[in-house]
Amino acid sequence: MQVAHSVLIRDVGMNKHVMTKWIAVFVFSFCMFSYSNAGFAGDELNCVLCHKHRGLSRIDEDGKFRLFYINQELFDSGPHRRNKCKDCHTDIDKIPHEPARKVDCMQECHMVEPSGNIKFSHKTVEETLHKSAHSPLDEDGKPKPHQEDYPGCKDCHDQPFYRPFSFYKGELKAGVSKRGISRCKGCHTNGDFAEDFYEHITTRLRKSRYPMETIKSCAKCHQDPEFQERHDLDDVVTTYMQTFHGKMIALGSEKTADCLDCHVVEGENTHLIEGKEVITSAVYKNNVQATCRTSECHEKAAAQLASYQTHVTYDREKYPLQFYMLVGFKALMACVLYFFLALIFLELLRRLFPCFSFIKDKKQDDEVE
Amino acid sequence: MNLFKKIVFKLYVIFLMVFTVWYGHFMYPLIFGFEGKEMAAESLKDLGEAGTDHEKMFVKLISEHGKKSVTDLGYKVIDQPYIEGRFHHIGFPIEPDKASLCVSCHGNVPHDNSKEVRSFLNMHAFYVGCETCHIQPKEAGESWRFRWYSKENGDIIDNPVALVEIEDSYKEDAAHNYPTYGKYGAKIAPVIQKGSELVLLSGEKEKKFAQRYVTELGNLNSEQKSQIKKVIHQKVSKTPLQCDGCHQEKDPYIPYAALGYPPRRVVELTNTSVVGMIEKYKEFYIPSFLSPGVGNE
Repeated sequence: MQVAHSVLIRDVGMNKHVMTKWIAVFVFSFCMFSYSNAGFAGDELNCVLCHKHRGLSRIDEDGKFRLFYINQELFDSGPHRRNKCKDCHTDIDKIPHEPARKVDCMQECHMVEPSGNIKFSHKTVEETLHKSAHSPLDEDGKPKPHQEDYPGCKDCHDQPFYRPFSFYKGELKAGVSKRGISRCKGCHTNGDFAEDFYEHITTRLRKSRYPMETIKSCAKCHQDPEFQERHDLDDVVTTYMQTFHGKMIALGSEKTADCLDCHVVEGENTHLIEGKEVITSAVYKNNVQATCRTSECHEKAAAQLASYQTHVTYDREKYPLQFYMLVGFKALMACVLYFFLALIFLELLRRLFPCFSFIKDKKQDDEVE
Repeated sequence: MNLFKKIVFKLYVIFLMVFTVWYGHFMYPLIFGFEGKEMAAESLKDLGEAGTDHEKMFVKLISEHGKKSVTDLGYKVIDQPYIEGRFHHIGFPIEPDKASLCVSCHGNVPHDNSKEVRSFLNMHAFYVGCETCHIQPKEAGESWRFRWYSKENGDIIDNPVALVEIEDSYKEDAAHNYPTYGKYGAKIAPVIQKGSELVLLSGEKEKKFAQRYVTELGNLNSEQKSQIKKVIHQKVSKTPLQCDGCHQEKDPYIPYAALGYPPRRVVELTNTSVVGMIEKYKEFYIPSFLSPGVGNE
C-alpha cells in the first residue's frame, strides 16, 4: 500500500496543492467505501451511493428525460454485472459529473475474453454489422443516405439479461436449477463464478430475448411509415403479425420463427442480416427453402413450403395482384358470412312473429267476412 | 304452462337474434382490419404533420404516454415504463405525485437551474414535497411538523413500512442485498394544525385554484396572468432550504427518526459526506489507482 501510495504521488507530481487534493481524495474515497452498502459486483467506486436513488434525473438540453437511477438487482441479472461502471462510462472522472459522452460499446473493457486471452470488446459485432443491410456504409465504404436511420447498439439492445434455464430432470424449466448448479459449486467455490458460468451458457443455448421483444425491437424502425418511405420498404412488421408465425408469437409461443430466425442464415451471427437481393442472404429467393428447412424449424418440409410470398404488403401500386386478390377474398368472405347471418336473423324473426305479414291475405279476410 | 313455454321460446329466439347481430359485429374487424387501426393511423398522421423537431417530440411524447416495456425472462417478467434511449432497466413503475399542487404544473422533474446539483434535487423531489424546501416558516419561533402524504390522493399517512423493510434487508445475504429505496408511494411535507386535523400547507383548495388558473389562461390578459401567478407563489421563500439544513448531525430540519427512518439510515442521512461532496469537491477527480490498467500505458 505504501509503495502504491508513493507511486501515486510520483505520478501526480509533488506539487503541494496536488498533494492536498489527493489526500482529500483519499479521505473521501475512504468515506465512500466505508459508507457503502453492499453494492453490486462491478461497483468498486460505489456509484450506487447516489445512483440507487430512484428520482436521480433531469431533463436534458434537448428536452429528453434522463434517468440516472440504477436498479442494482436488474443490473446484476445480466452479463454486464462483471463490468465496473467506469468500464463503459470511461469519461466520468469528476463529481459532480460533467455531461458524459455517449458510451462506446466498441471499447475494450477489463474483462479478458478467455478463448483468445485478450481484452473483451464488441468490435467483432460491429464488423459483422458493417457487412449487413444495417451497415451505415455502402459497398464502397461511403456513407449511405439517411445516416441517422442506421442502428447503433442501443437502438436494438437495452441492458442484456441472462435467461437461464435447466432440464435437470428432463423437463425444461426457466431459471437456475439449484440442484444443477450445486454440481458446479462443488469445485468452483469462489465468488459467483459458478452462477455466472451457468447463467451465461444456458442463456446462450436459447434465444436471449423473448421473440415478441425481438419483433418490437425491429418494429421501432420497420413499422415507422416515414422510415419505410425513406428507404422504400414495406410494412413488414404489420404483415408479419398477420401471418401464422406472427399470430403464434402474439399468443405467447417461443418456438415460432421471429424476424431473426428467417433473416439470418443458420449458424451465422445474428447481426448479419442481409437484404433479399444479396445472394448469400437467408431470404434470397434461392435460399428461402433452406432457411425454412433448418434443423429447428420445418426440417422435413417440401421445397414448395417456401414458394409463397411470406409476408405480403397489400399495396395497390407495388403489389396490385396481391391487393386485388385480398379485396376479392375479403368481399367473398363478407358476402358469404353476412348473407347467412342475415338469413339466420330473418328466420329467427319469423319464429318470433310467426303470423306477421306486410301483405294482407285476401283469402283469409274473405273467410272472416 | 303453455304460455310459460311460449315465453321461454320467445326469449331464446330473442337471445339468438342478439347473438347473430353481435357475431356480425365481432367478425367485422377480423375481416376488414383490426380494432384501433384508425386510431393508430391518426396518431401516425399527427406525427407526420408535426413540423419542427420540437413539435414532433411533443406529439411523440403524447403518443408514448403510458408506453411500457415488458421483458420476459421465463422465471420473471419485468414490466417497466419505456424511456426512449435508456439502456439500463428501471424495473418499477414511476409513481407520479398526483396530489402536489406544485407538481401539477412543474412536473416530477422540476429542477434545472444548477447544473451541478439539478439531478440530486430532482432525486429529492421523489421523496420530499416541494413545500419542504421552498416554503419556510416566516415568523420567528414558528415551526412546522412533518408528515408523509400519499402521492396518490394527498392524505396524510403513517410512516412507510418500506423504511423498516429496507433496514431488515441488510440483515440478509450482504452480497445479494438489493434494498429498494424510495418505493414509499409517499412524500415528506410540512403540515399545520387546523382544528383537530393536520393539513398540508397547500391543500385541495389551493390546487383547485391553480387548476382554475390554468383553464382560464386564455381569458386572462398578461397583467392578470402575472397577478395570479404571484398569488399562487406568494408562500414560496426567496431562498430555498440548503442541503445542510437537513444533512447535518446537530439539528436537522427534517426529523428523520420521527418520520420512521431507522437509526442506521438517520446516521447516513445526517452524515455530511454528500453535502461535502457537492460543496467542496467541485473539482474532484476519481483517482486512477481505482481503475486498474488506466494510466499504465
